[in-house]
Amino acid sequence: MSVRDILQAENELTHMLGAQQPVVLSTRIRLARNLSGLPFPGWSKPAQREEVAERCLRSLVALPRFRRGHVLRMAELADLDRTVLVERHLVSKELAAGKAGAAVISRDQTCSVMVNEEDHLRIQVVKAGWHLASAWQIAEQLDDALAPRLGFAFSERLGYLTACPTNVGTGLRASAMLHLPGLCLSGHMDKVARGLGQDGLAVRGWLGEGTEAVGNVFQISNQQTLGRSEEEIRRHLAGWIKHVVEQEWNARRRLAADEGEKFVDRAARALGLLRHARLLTSAESMNMLSLLRLACDMGCLPEERRSTVDRLMIEGQPAHVQALVGAELDSDARDVRRAAAVREALRDFPEAGPPTA
Amino acid sequence: MGDSSRCSICGQPATVDLTQIDAGKFTKVHLCDACAQKGGATDPSVFKLADALAAPSAPAAIVCPACGFTDVDFRKRGRLGCPACWTVFADALGGLLSKVQHDAAHQGRAPAGSSGAAGPARVRLESARRELEAAVKAEAFETAARLRDEILRLEAVVKSS
Repeated sequence: MSVRDILQAENELTHMLGAQQPVVLSTRIRLARNLSGLPFPGWSKPAQREEVAERCLRSLVALPRFRRGHVLRMAELADLDRTVLVERHLVSKELAAGKAGAAVISRDQTCSVMVNEEDHLRIQVVKAGWHLASAWQIAEQLDDALAPRLGFAFSERLGYLTACPTNVGTGLRASAMLHLPGLCLSGHMDKVARGLGQDGLAVRGWLGEGTEAVGNVFQISNQQTLGRSEEEIRRHLAGWIKHVVEQEWNARRRLAADEGEKFVDRAARALGLLRHARLLTSAESMNMLSLLRLACDMGCLPEERRSTVDRLMIEGQPAHVQALVGAELDSDARDVRRAAAVREALRDFPEAGPPTA
Repeated sequence: MGDSSRCSICGQPATVDLTQIDAGKFTKVHLCDACAQKGGATDPSVFKLADALAAPSAPAAIVCPACGFTDVDFRKRGRLGCPACWTVFADALGGLLSKVQHDAAHQGRAPAGSSGAAGPARVRLESARRELEAAVKAEAFETAARLRDEILRLEAVVKSS
């Protein structure tokens, strides 16, 4: 089993084409859990981390959901493979950076459990599109199945005990990945982000904490984990996501109505650039692909082309470009490969027309 | 926020620009490599926390008897050593939690097999007794008093079932 298998396998994010939605790219649930009586990974000795890894991995692989899944120990993976997993959102940058971490990933790549990240366990469920309820249900099942086997550190007063005070309580981070070109192009994104921030939601870039928003993609998640129940946290997030999606559609429709030919011109130029460029940086390709995705959503391009755009967004990330070639490449060589892959994929795209949505 | 070419903390040449969105305000911080590493600047939520905690620099006064973690370690790292640290540092954490969280009391799920009436009370009683022991050892008397009350209440629940 290798990271290459994960890249090539049919999976939730690149193959659930029916689940694709114009604005919400994916929904994620994350639960932080720790084994009672053992130091957190950042403060434990190698033997203790090994004990945690042993116990957790043994319990995880016994669960039906991880049957024929992948067990990956970070120490055994090449740098490039670890980065691919980060770009796929299957493991965090923190887990990939350390040697003590491991991850168990379900065959369909919907569930990934990180072991020895900041906490002993980070249970993650990702669904393509907006599926908060079903993602939560799966996470809850995994939590219930693991709790009796592993014995989680829990206090009635503080809930699930975590290494960082920002995760204690429910240990729940519920988030959605949104594509918001309308709000960005119309200059309203800052205002929306401020509103979200004021009401306890964090807005981050494509790869989560500490990353810039490229391609107009934002991750919105709850900040607080203690003092509200899991259901309240989900309801609060869901209310805001619905609102932001509405704002995004309003912004798009206003742009399409007000800009007329300029709206089509933007999509046409993005398509022209992507179809002819010989060098494409990952930021430029993300930003241009974002405009193509908007064009598909708005009917300037056929909607069924959106899946190609989404695949290129994922496969255009630096480690993906290298993994797909099967060799390490420097940044210039990556830009050449990326441009070639994009040109090939967009070769038979039709010309952009006026919006119909 | 100040000269963007200098670290906001130590004045060394800055290599990292961090933008935080906090309570609707955008704050830009410039950091040198060393301070960015120290503060965990790749993780904004942690950086804010480390920042808030960095102010008082007294010698270690509280040590977790379970894992040896001290209050100085916490100020440095912004993370705790082990689950028992939550009891040992309860008094110090109370103020922080009220700043970064909704409320200081957990609402929500409990581990499977532990919710219900007397069963969980018995389980909790055991852990509360252990926590009390750690709190007394660490001289966290406010916490110890709270735990003593909780233990009395739990003993009544267990007895009555």
